[in-house]
Amino acid sequence: MRARAGRNLFIGLAIMLGVSFVAGSFVLADSLKATFDNLFTSLNANVDLEVRRTLTVDVTDAQRDPVPAELVDQIAAVEGVGVVEGQIQRFAQMLDSDGKPVSTQGAPAFGISWHGPGGTSSVVVKDGRGPIAAGEVAIDKATADKVGYEVGERIAIVFDKGQESFEIVGLVGLENSDGFGGATIALFETETAKQVLDWGGQYDVIDLTVADGYDQAEVQAAIREMLPDKTEVVTGQQVGEEIADGINEIIGVFGKGLQVFAFVTAFVSAFIINNVFGITIGQRLRELALLRAVGANRKQVRRLVIIEALVVSVTATFVGVFGGLVVAKGLIALFEAAGAGFPATPLIMNPPAVIMGVVVGVGVTMLSVLIPAYRAARIPPVAAMRPEVGFSSLGSNRRLLTGSIVTAVGAIMFLVGLFVRPGGSLGLIVLSGGGTLAIFLGISSLSATVARPVAGAIGTPIRKLFKVPGQLAVDNARRSPRRTARTASALMIGVALVSAAAVFASSLRDTFARILDRSITADYILTDESFLGLPTGVVERLDAIPELSAVSPFRFMFANVNGVPDAPDEQITAVDPVAFPQLADLDVVDGDFQKLVDGDGVMLLDKKAEELGVGLGDTIDITYQNDETGSLVVSGIFSDASLGSKWYISIDTFEQASDQAPRDQFVLARLADGASPDVARPLIQAAVDEFPQTKVQSNAEFRAEQEAQINQLLAIITGLLSMAMLIAVVGIAIALALAVFERTREIGLLRAIGMSRRQLRRAIRWEAVIVSVFGAVVGVVVGLFLGIALSYAVPNSVIDGITFPIPIIVIIVLAAIFAGVFAAWYPARKASKMDVLEAIATE
Amino acid sequence: MSSTTSAPPPPSALVAAAGALDARKTYGLGDAVVHALDGVTVSFEPGRFTAIMGPSGSGKSTLLHCLAGLDDLTEGAVFIGETYLASLDDKKLTELRRTQVGFIFQAYNLIPTLTAEENILLPLMLGGDTADPAWFDEVVRTVSLKDRLKHRPSELSGGQQQRVAVARALVSRPTIIFADEPTGNLDSNAGGEILRFMRQAVDQHGQTIVMVTHDPYAAAHADRVIFLADGKVVHEMSDPSADGIIDRMKQIGH
Repeated sequence: MRARAGRNLFIGLAIMLGVSFVAGSFVLADSLKATFDNLFTSLNANVDLEVRRTLTVDVTDAQRDPVPAELVDQIAAVEGVGVVEGQIQRFAQMLDSDGKPVSTQGAPAFGISWHGPGGTSSVVVKDGRGPIAAGEVAIDKATADKVGYEVGERIAIVFDKGQESFEIVGLVGLENSDGFGGATIALFETETAKQVLDWGGQYDVIDLTVADGYDQAEVQAAIREMLPDKTEVVTGQQVGEEIADGINEIIGVFGKGLQVFAFVTAFVSAFIINNVFGITIGQRLRELALLRAVGANRKQVRRLVIIEALVVSVTATFVGVFGGLVVAKGLIALFEAAGAGFPATPLIMNPPAVIMGVVVGVGVTMLSVLIPAYRAARIPPVAAMRPEVGFSSLGSNRRLLTGSIVTAVGAIMFLVGLFVRPGGSLGLIVLSGGGTLAIFLGISSLSATVARPVAGAIGTPIRKLFKVPGQLAVDNARRSPRRTARTASALMIGVALVSAAAVFASSLRDTFARILDRSITADYILTDESFLGLPTGVVERLDAIPELSAVSPFRFMFANVNGVPDAPDEQITAVDPVAFPQLADLDVVDGDFQKLVDGDGVMLLDKKAEELGVGLGDTIDITYQNDETGSLVVSGIFSDASLGSKWYISIDTFEQASDQAPRDQFVLARLADGASPDVARPLIQAAVDEFPQTKVQSNAEFRAEQEAQINQLLAIITGLLSMAMLIAVVGIAIALALAVFERTREIGLLRAIGMSRRQLRRAIRWEAVIVSVFGAVVGVVVGLFLGIALSYAVPNSVIDGITFPIPIIVIIVLAAIFAGVFAAWYPARKASKMDVLEAIATE
Repeated sequence: MSSTTSAPPPPSALVAAAGALDARKTYGLGDAVVHALDGVTVSFEPGRFTAIMGPSGSGKSTLLHCLAGLDDLTEGAVFIGETYLASLDDKKLTELRRTQVGFIFQAYNLIPTLTAEENILLPLMLGGDTADPAWFDEVVRTVSLKDRLKHRPSELSGGQQQRVAVARALVSRPTIIFADEPTGNLDSNAGGEILRFMRQAVDQHGQTIVMVTHDPYAAAHADRVIFLADGKVVHEMSDPSADGIIDRMKQIGH
């Protein structure tokens, strides 16, 4: 009876853990999405209609052109229109009291026009008042709290035109939040805004309300009638949804990552739950046979097994689902520790979180128990009298065969999914994801056939080092190869995914380094943190430095090629055609960047030219993102796509095609021959002094930072997957604790004939290490395969060679050893504390 | 009977391999108290084979466990060689079991993952010692296991497994071997073999053996039989015969 309680406790623990992590991942993903959705829909809650320029591409980064100011009066004249407010929202970088830019960790830094309360704005004044005069600003309370600004203090703010100082008259936020999802917001009275934000007689958008008693759709239709070309009127709700969609596209990647993680944990948990049942089935069968012997019929036996499993799994799942909230909190803490700034995220639990929890908790448990239950009912009562009861499991040869087939099918699915991609991205996900699962299942099954020799090989140094305890550890690890394989497989999955990510990331990193070496000949790269781009003043200042021989901006716009059905959104990059060839080497095969000077020319990637069927001198008709059309003449063909863009035009062409205030995504600069970096660098730094958001980096520094970012991404992936590995380690601990339980008598005997507690603990500890290292080794092998395939599947311009992450693999194996030691802690302690006499007396 | 129930001669560490002095072991409290050992004083001379007999619940197994350092007394003392067990911590006690005590249990005597040879050598290897090859060969020859050394327990018969256990107990030349119903799980042929091996170890190598049994024919192999009832020594017999033992058991009320 005690054995049964202990067994169910372990099973319950395995289920609970698995369910917690699955539910937790869903809770976190859902909560983040809801938080951002709320934020951005509430941002536009008071806007009934918005007038704006049309945008013909579906790209999150694409900026709309502004609308002419005179539209405000025309719209106000339309019947049914209430308040009309032209909005200006441009770059405005706050500085802290030390004059350093306030970091937004990638979120935008905006200055916004403020028309006062009661209009279309949802901004709420939390402290002080709104700005009503020149020289006044209200900033978002979240930033003020973070940086330590208070009402009445002065703040310096950097605009494209330069830096100005303001008095903080108020702190603002949204109804339910002090912040704007990480962005910094500075509000200015409208006339001030026009001036400091350099509005150029144009509003970014015009927001309006519908007067009481008028129908929104009718007013919208009336406005649509009077609007000029390439301008549209949409509901505030739609705008909110669009922004939320855009943000979700970004955090969606993160959410998808979390969901992948949830499935991984679910899969690993399933392994462990199934394994625990597999281990306990022997004891269970003996009990059931005893029941049969004393007169229970098959149906009763079956019912008993199922009810027991149901009670355990439902209880554990129930606890586990709530544990999901704890896991979600823990994950948030983890990300914040890693430096990610989340807005305050109230946790919500949607049905999918609970459903997945139940599927994993109850579903997997019932599957793990149902088949044995039916077979258990069929075992003869006499089996109770036999010392060893077990099912004839699959023979070694058959397991080898099934394992090989499943692995092979999985590998083929995975490769076809990656390289052929039938059915687009859905096919990619279903095939490569399903293939990966099949590989894991197949390898797990194959592992059982190699567990004995591999455990022996891993154990050789342990046996040499620790004599009897070492030998017992090795022998016990080899004792039940199926159990060892299954226990190790849970760890194998996590290790495989981490190794795959490591191969991919290190290949990506090294490819990137090679691209920088080969393609970028610039000595300096200037960027800004908020990704809003640098003001054009940066290039102007650099042009004046004689130590620099070439300076070019790198500016993005989007367009579609006319006459192509479902034309994809093309990213067009504008550069200085004279300077650029000195700053980047894109393997020009025909024509010349210089020809772009003539205007309306384009340098085209060879593959794109081939796809469009154009050559040197041909004309391509395109529609820019703002619905303006243009014709570009092919001035040249290049073959190196590694900088990301397939189209290069001149800055002049760019400015003719767009009304927006130009912003440069990067600025590249090259040292003049013979100029010293020691002289040039301080000059550059001084030149951009008035734009403190500018980050000046040498080629090497830029590369180091990009590499560091890839490493950080890898660290986050590893951090997430280590949760799955933690579950696997707990799985090893549970399997080992059950083994200790089973071997009670043997342990008693060992202790009786003179094994010390320390030797016993050592034997158990090293058994765990062998199992975990086994899992890690198999995992690394599988992971290398997955990672290499993945790296080959992406275009050459992204990854052009495989880098084996040797240090990471070494760390994984070392971590596996520690994981084993950690997993053995409880079982070893339990074993060494066992009463010798009681243990010997155990039947 | 009065002559044989008189107190045994006082034990001396110098003349006894092991022994108990007024050993008491009680379970439970108040009215429910059970005296498993109720003042047992006994000593086991070196080089002799002693059997302990008694009905179920007489305390014979408890006495054996306490003597072997697997269980502790409520009152009184036990000693092995010149060591009083109560003074030892777990580490010392483990070492004593490994170096001075040999065990033969009723069943499940062997570690299933180890070969017969490894099982035999286990106590020595646990202490980091190696066996004297001549002695090892001698022991293996004594129990006739030469051609079974590389087999694992699952490949051995019950009798063979028990012979491995005997060899394991002998190989470290312990001060004393405790055997708890060593033939209880064997048929009479295999059981007789085990008893003959134990007898031989005593006669040829001067090994001290204490065996708990309820089988008069097994006890007849011993030099001396001690009868226990209700936690007390009630009788003692030297050079016993099976018939004599059976008669005595009837008197005790087996």
